[in-house]
Amino acid sequence: MVVARRRWFQTPWDFRESILFTAAALCAGFLFEFASSGSSIALPRLPVNAIILSLFAVLVLSIGYSFRNNHIVKWFGGIPLGLCLIFAIALLSLIGGIVPQEAGSSGSLASQAGVNHIFSSWPFALTVILFLANLGLSLSWKLIPFKVQNLQFILFHAGFWIALSCAIFGSADLQRLVVPIEEGKANNFGYTMESDTPQHLPFSVFLHEFSLEEYPPQLLLYDPHTDKLLMDKSQTILEVRKGTTASWKGLDVVVLDYIPFALPGKDGLPHPADRSTGIPYAKVRISADSTQREAWISTGSPMLKPGAAALGNLYLIMVPGTPKSFRSAVTIQDGKGDDVMANLEVNKPVNFKDWKLYQMGYDEKAGRWSKLSLIEVIRDPWLPAVYLGFFMIMAGNILFFWNGIKRTEGASS
Amino acid sequence: MITFTTAAILAIACWSLGAIVSIFARRTPALKLPAFLLAFGGSVVMIAFIAFYWSILDRPPLRTLGETRLWYAALIPLVGFLVEYRWKIDWLKYYCMALASFFLVINLLHPEVFDKTLMPALQSPWFIPHVVVYLVGYVLLAASSVTALHNVSLQLRSKANVTGESVSHYLALLGFVFLSFGLIFGALWAKEAWGHYWTWDPKETWAFLSWLAYLGYLHAYRYNIERSKLQWYLALSFVVLLVCWFGVNYLPSAQNSVHTYTQS
Ligand code: HEM
Repeated sequence: MVVARRRWFQTPWDFRESILFTAAALCAGFLFEFASSGSSIALPRLPVNAIILSLFAVLVLSIGYSFRNNHIVKWFGGIPLGLCLIFAIALLSLIGGIVPQEAGSSGSLASQAGVNHIFSSWPFALTVILFLANLGLSLSWKLIPFKVQNLQFILFHAGFWIALSCAIFGSADLQRLVVPIEEGKANNFGYTMESDTPQHLPFSVFLHEFSLEEYPPQLLLYDPHTDKLLMDKSQTILEVRKGTTASWKGLDVVVLDYIPFALPGKDGLPHPADRSTGIPYAKVRISADSTQREAWISTGSPMLKPGAAALGNLYLIMVPGTPKSFRSAVTIQDGKGDDVMANLEVNKPVNFKDWKLYQMGYDEKAGRWSKLSLIEVIRDPWLPAVYLGFFMIMAGNILFFWNGIKRTEGASS
Repeated sequence: MITFTTAAILAIACWSLGAIVSIFARRTPALKLPAFLLAFGGSVVMIAFIAFYWSILDRPPLRTLGETRLWYAALIPLVGFLVEYRWKIDWLKYYCMALASFFLVINLLHPEVFDKTLMPALQSPWFIPHVVVYLVGYVLLAASSVTALHNVSLQLRSKANVTGESVSHYLALLGFVFLSFGLIFGALWAKEAWGHYWTWDPKETWAFLSWLAYLGYLHAYRYNIERSKLQWYLALSFVVLLVCWFGVNYLPSAQNSVHTYTQS
């Protein structure tokens, strides 16, 4: 290659200078990180961050446009430096993908070097800034003068520029709060992940009802000596319903009857009951070595002990199914008298003004009987900008796919 | 799961026989069609099994690693057939069928726990598009790496191979397109399900890394770095994909991941 005979810093600059520059930037980043003993970078909030970002964009674009023939500027916006910065980001992400990222812990060497909070560390910030500058310069040359054939390039690169910069600069304005609410009560305080101090919300949430639906319960064999649950021969999660069969070594079980919601009566036998209090009961026939017996087993609830069938050293038990869905019926109300009634469910968040409300969790010990619902409320004013970037990348992607196929046809014919 | 064993053995038999008949078909062109039908039959068996499995599970079989391997096994040979049809390159399909059989053998050795449940976060209209787009992306990139590896071996024996290099390139390009869609669909879904589109969860981080690896490739290609060197790059990129795909669960960082696949 020609590169080998070139002297260092002889123009035009190429990969060697890019590698050196990127390595220097990474070293500087880690030095900064050490000097600030691993504290995370505090970004300014709206409107300051928006102003800084706009100034940065204007600066990069105007440098690119005014000095498009300067060889250093050309190198700064070129693919070799771009590739090195992509590798630097990949390297930092690799650290973030291997070392557990934990917020809060400090003092250790890992936290001083920033490797346990790599995505808010100085080396990452510095690399991203350089990356945005590099990407912005390359964009400036394709944006002006505009040509339709550059559209794919513009959509990809501008989309990524917008998504990345707005996601990072906007992270200071992201608010995520957890709001615990008990049934029949309202709450207008939320907690962040980082601190125990409640924060006042501009609205309150009233919880009418929390409800949880489970998958059917499962049949399992429990060994109290080893504290292990044994699965049946077919390696199937056995959903209990009338007619379910299961077998373990020397043991066959058939479910003769199944009542999803029942309570024990005076005679000791289960009777169908209301779904809010009843628990699943199953009548099973157990056949082991030529003996047969029948028994009622149940999953139990906070009020009722579970019913198991003893089989020598083992127990045949029924465990509640995993949650299938859970939802909170709420009324959201702000100080101005606006209110909304809504059902919050996982994957079905609800918008209220600038906020989005999510069903997050519940009292897991109480399970189906939980009277507590955890709602997460999120405000992210930069979301539309990030999504604009996403949609531009997707549009660029469609063009890329299309052109890729077209060129392939050209190539093979 | 009696039927999985049957379906897997039948599919592997189809691919093996198809491969053997294809080798004979090089001399006897009349055998070409039967060879293709046999090999294709292997994937048809897997697709039928997936459809059947989907119907008895009452949910798409995309939840566990084992379930995703069923899809790879069905889809990877199809890429091999397409490449043969499109670029008249006939050796890729052998690798693809071998890889598919390998996935089925893993599943035969580690039988799945048959579980119908789907946790609430996965019950989303995004679930299928996100996972399927990723599956297709990985399948294309797997084929691209296999092609690149073959190209490397031809290079080492100093044989010229221009078509092979353009095939690995186009497969990588298409794979990158799917990877980008998968990444963005994932982000849009995460916003609906977990409240934020990006949280640097280990799985997300590794997905981003794999995407960066191919982004780097595309730019190096654009900068006219020698094609032959890039074959090494493409062959090795698959290591990153594999970690992202199976390996993440075993990394120290996975202890606080929200979406490693269920290990059952
Ligand atoms: C590091 C900063 C980057 C620089 C300096 C850069 C520069 C370039 C240049 C000069 C080209 C060739 C364009 C042409 O010939 O018309 C290109 C192509 C491309 N870039 Fe970038 N790029 C960067 C980052 C990105 C990012 C982040 C993405 C993805 C969102 C991206 C996606 C693409 C794609 C898909 C192509 C087309 C590749 C092809 O045609 O084979 N680039 N880039």
